[in-house]
Amino acid sequence: MAALWKTCHQCLRYGLAKKSIYPSTSVINVISQRNYKPHWVAPTLREFKRRKDVEDDRNGGPKIFHRSTFLEWNYDAEIFAFSNRLGEKFNDSTLRTALTHKSYIERETVRLSAIGVDTNLQLQDNEDLATAGGEMISKFVNGYLRAVFTRAPEELIVAMHDFLTSTSNLEIVAKHIGLGDLMLCSDFPCKSETYVKSFKAVVAALAESSGEERARIFVQDLVVTQLYGLDINELWNPADPVGNLTAILKREGKAEPDFRLIKQSGSNSILAVYYVGVYSDKNFIAEGAGESLEIAKEMAAREALKHFFHTEDSMKALPFGRQLKDIQSKIAQLENQPNLPLSKWISDKVTSAVH
Amino acid sequence: MSNSHLFLQSGFIRTPLQNGLGRYIPQLQRITLKFCKNQGGSRGVRDFIESDLMDFAKNNPGTVVYLKPRRHRSPCMVAEYLNGEREYLSCHEFSRDEVHKWLSYMCTRSGIPVMRFRKYQHTDYPSIQGVWNPFTHQAPEINLAQYPNDILSKPANQGPTATEQLIEIFKKTQIKDPIKPEH
Repeated sequence: MAALWKTCHQCLRYGLAKKSIYPSTSVINVISQRNYKPHWVAPTLREFKRRKDVEDDRNGGPKIFHRSTFLEWNYDAEIFAFSNRLGEKFNDSTLRTALTHKSYIERETVRLSAIGVDTNLQLQDNEDLATAGGEMISKFVNGYLRAVFTRAPEELIVAMHDFLTSTSNLEIVAKHIGLGDLMLCSDFPCKSETYVKSFKAVVAALAESSGEERARIFVQDLVVTQLYGLDINELWNPADPVGNLTAILKREGKAEPDFRLIKQSGSNSILAVYYVGVYSDKNFIAEGAGESLEIAKEMAAREALKHFFHTEDSMKALPFGRQLKDIQSKIAQLENQPNLPLSKWISDKVTSAVH
Repeated sequence: MSNSHLFLQSGFIRTPLQNGLGRYIPQLQRITLKFCKNQGGSRGVRDFIESDLMDFAKNNPGTVVYLKPRRHRSPCMVAEYLNGEREYLSCHEFSRDEVHKWLSYMCTRSGIPVMRFRKYQHTDYPSIQGVWNPFTHQAPEINLAQYPNDILSKPANQGPTATEQLIEIFKKTQIKDPIKPEH
């Protein structure tokens, strides 16, 4: 009986009740194989799901409790562990302020006044810290991107910056450093905005306690690393790549791009492929393939742009952690110095620029 | 796949929040040791608490340790991880060393539930060669080939025919006549 209960429990935890917080990974290169499971497995899982649904309906949603309502909960110890876990030194009162939301103070005030207690709470909310932290994160991320992608136009930097500082990305980071249980807020389960606000406030609190340098490294280690494993060319889609390429070549005093069909195969079939090369002044720039001549031409132009911006598919892996030690001063310097926008991009100017 | 794997999730090896790429964050956020002060089943846990727990807490300042004595119940440890997972382990009649061993196991885990790996290696890194097409990595001599071309018109993996192999064997078995001068 105990074994059966354990199995049921496992099923509910792993199979049905738990919604994974990880994005599902796309399955590539998996050799498909048939798994033979006994005939009772699927009906059993179905029955478990039915029982779970009935219970959830009766309770109006799944039964969840905040961790602080448990008997074994010590907020001081949790705060101590939080800073040690991240390897940072926080000013205790600043960190507590960063984790206290306005909604919590309002709720506590109402609760205390309802039972007739003096409502002079010695709590500060994190509104100011969150605003300051948001600006800091934005600044640090921009500095890193400009120092690493020296030849990328500002539009690409902005696209990457927007991805990294988006609510969904910052929420994932905030959840994974354990802010979920530590935040003092009135909403439970907590909203994404609450997570993001707390994370921003924590960054500002770190800058206040240990200095801006530590906060910069903190943001690089936790936020910017989310760029790893992403195709950055997917984040930004330059409109009219052929037009952009022509404009850049014209600005550099070179001839217009010349698109030539190098190879083709399977014309008039659904698997047609055209292989187009881009030349300028009889010099080869890039090549691209597509299922029609127009698409192949556009792909070749995109490849040429990637070549100019040094964001090819085969570019070097991004530097993180200790690899950034030597360029920290450069990152700090570039925080308020935008790259060239696409409308002014010339390779000579980029090369001769300070960075 | 055995019967104990029927409800085991399968997946790919991964790490929470690219941990270790920038800095390493220990993933065990809190651990609760539940034990009885009287019963023999909790003996090992009690010994561990008496002698080793302080060292453990000092060495792992990022982990909050809770002790929960409860009368006449079997001992257990509950580990909670940063990704929100919770791991329960019964410590009934564990010795002090066993408790230590399992605690260090809980400490070094990432918290992602135990799963059957579909492969032992995995990457989410995008392709560095771009989308494949029939001309990817094509041999450069094909650019200069004249058509119709005998070699290129044949199947790539075609070996010698049985007749050709027999002729080859026959040639090898021929004994050269030493008297006949070669010319």
